[in-house]
Amino acid sequence: MTQIDIIGLTKRYGTTLALDGVTLQAREGELVSLLGPSGCGKTTTLRCIAGFMDPDGGDILADGASVTDLPPQRRDFGVVFQNYALFPHLTVFENVAYGLGVRRVPKAEQRTRVAEALAMVRLQGLEDRLPRALSGGQQQRVALARALVIRPRLLLLDEPLANLDARLREEVRWLIRDVQQRARITAFYVTHDQAEAMALSDRIAVMKAGRVAQFATPREIYQRPAEAYVARFTGEANIIPVRPRDRTAGGGFHVPFGGVVLPVSGVEGIRPGDAAMLMLRPEALSITDPGAPDAIPALVLGAAFLGAALACEVSLADGMRLRLQASPHGTVQPGMTVGLAVDTAHAWLMPDIPQ
Amino acid sequence: MSRALSAAVLGVIYAFLLLPLVAVVAASLTAGELMRVPPEGLSLKWFQRFLASETFREALLLSLQVALTTVVVTVVLATLAALCHRALSRRLAASFRLAMTLPLLLPELLTAIGLLFFLNSIGLGKTLTGLQVAHVVIAFPFAFLAIVAALEQVDPAMEEASASLGAGGFETFRRVLLPLARPGMLTGGLFAFIVSFDMFTISLLLKPVGGNTLPLALFDFLTYDFDPTAAAAATLSVLFAVIGVVAIERMVGLRRAF
Ligand SMILES: Nc1ncnc2c1ncn2[C@@H]1O[C@H](COP(=O)(O)OP(=O)(O)OP(=O)(O)O)[C@@H](O)[C@H]1O
Ligand SMILES: [Mg+2]
Repeated sequence: MTQIDIIGLTKRYGTTLALDGVTLQAREGELVSLLGPSGCGKTTTLRCIAGFMDPDGGDILADGASVTDLPPQRRDFGVVFQNYALFPHLTVFENVAYGLGVRRVPKAEQRTRVAEALAMVRLQGLEDRLPRALSGGQQQRVALARALVIRPRLLLLDEPLANLDARLREEVRWLIRDVQQRARITAFYVTHDQAEAMALSDRIAVMKAGRVAQFATPREIYQRPAEAYVARFTGEANIIPVRPRDRTAGGGFHVPFGGVVLPVSGVEGIRPGDAAMLMLRPEALSITDPGAPDAIPALVLGAAFLGAALACEVSLADGMRLRLQASPHGTVQPGMTVGLAVDTAHAWLMPDIPQ
Repeated sequence: MSRALSAAVLGVIYAFLLLPLVAVVAASLTAGELMRVPPEGLSLKWFQRFLASETFREALLLSLQVALTTVVVTVVLATLAALCHRALSRRLAASFRLAMTLPLLLPELLTAIGLLFFLNSIGLGKTLTGLQVAHVVIAFPFAFLAIVAALEQVDPAMEEASASLGAGGFETFRRVLLPLARPGMLTGGLFAFIVSFDMFTISLLLKPVGGNTLPLALFDFLTYDFDPTAAAAATLSVLFAVIGVVAIERMVGLRRAF
């Protein structure tokens, strides 16, 4: 159990600045996801932590001691690779025992520890197979067992589910979370799938062009994103440019929107009168009677039946388009004029930061 | 229709490649006194004649000795060079590769003359050591390319996975890279053997005084005689090459199979 602190990591490839001051932390036993679109620097960050790559600046601390100058073999960090990177000439047993053999662990202890690790990832009876005779899901379990068996101080996973089909992905995702929590290992997990990050993580770092845009719990990232980029990347969101009028008594803002004024909370530091971004998650909007008090009149453009909900797109009087989810039992149809009710508890105001 | 055509083309190509071989083997088995195809009756007497000749026996032994030494030295050097090639950045690796394969790109005669001057100047001219050095120089690019090709099949994440599990550079080499390079080392060794065993131009210029390799002995022999002993010698050369190929096929093939 180790706390990892990453402080101001920078990395340049030729003229591209891949990391531009990445600061992160994983507390003991915490699983931290690095989430972001392709090319934002997730893999680069992870490879610097693993020691496969030297950062140009910044520091990596494990329990307060810098590991930045240690080669990977002296860091005691387990790594699970996207393509598994199993040793093709070694059997499942030999793959998992590799780190123990390198550490000169006695053979008898190797056998018990390999058996334990394989039991933990629920893969038994295949010890004598070569990796090429395993399915993708099985290979990923071997890779996980191989990284865990050395009882690493930190577990690093780079898109470990990317090569699995959708059903297996779900299964292995829960396995990883379960194993990580039972072994109480600190972990960094790279993904570009927001649902995966939400489901697994204690905290998520949303990365944007080599920087951390926001580092917080999944709930906070989803409900109180620091900027529109984060809101868009963590789920469906209507992002509307607005100008807050003044502060509410409760510390929020009065935001004029669609002919009404909404009391909305938001990011600290926004000043009334400045340009800002209003986030309305689809669940913040509902359809009511157009005559209801404070209802915003809207025209239904389209509706798609999803089973549990009806996904609708509506447009306001000023042409603004919004997405929302309505009850599947209602009678909403394209062309109808409806009223929109805003649940301000699910609305959030963010500063207007360029994307 | 097109299948019949491609089968016919293949047949012609095989015939073109194999007919000389068949002719030599056939000629070596003749019971007559002349090298000709078809042979006049069958016998192994020309093989006996070949083995009875001290010149040929010594040449064969020298060729085998030089070829086997070449295999060992070349494979060790080529493996080290291929590992170095793998560790270099892409741009540097390309230049390194070119430098390592230069002996392949220069005409053999040029290399031979260059080596002759060089070996003479360091006092190894016309010695067995000098000849040995020359064989390694010529065989090296073949082995190097075979091992580089084998290592190119190895996922670059292998070394990283190994290091993250606690292995240092040598441990990674011993436990991962060496086993994975082995097919390339075997193929490279086979190439080195054949190249050395068949080498003529270089050996002619650099041979030690009084020491002939088999191709040289054969050439000398054919200058004065034209009896089927030459065909027997050629057949034995081919046989050694085939045995080498089959043995390596087996070793590599077996590894791949399980
Ligand atoms: N070896 C390299 N040489 C040059 N540029 C690189 C190299 N590796 C990565 N980059 C660049 O650095 C930036 C960050 O890359 P990185 O691989 O960390 O992104 P990522 O977030 O992992 O993306 P993905 O989701 O596609 O894996 C990208 O702009 C990428 O093009
Ligand atoms: Mg990546």
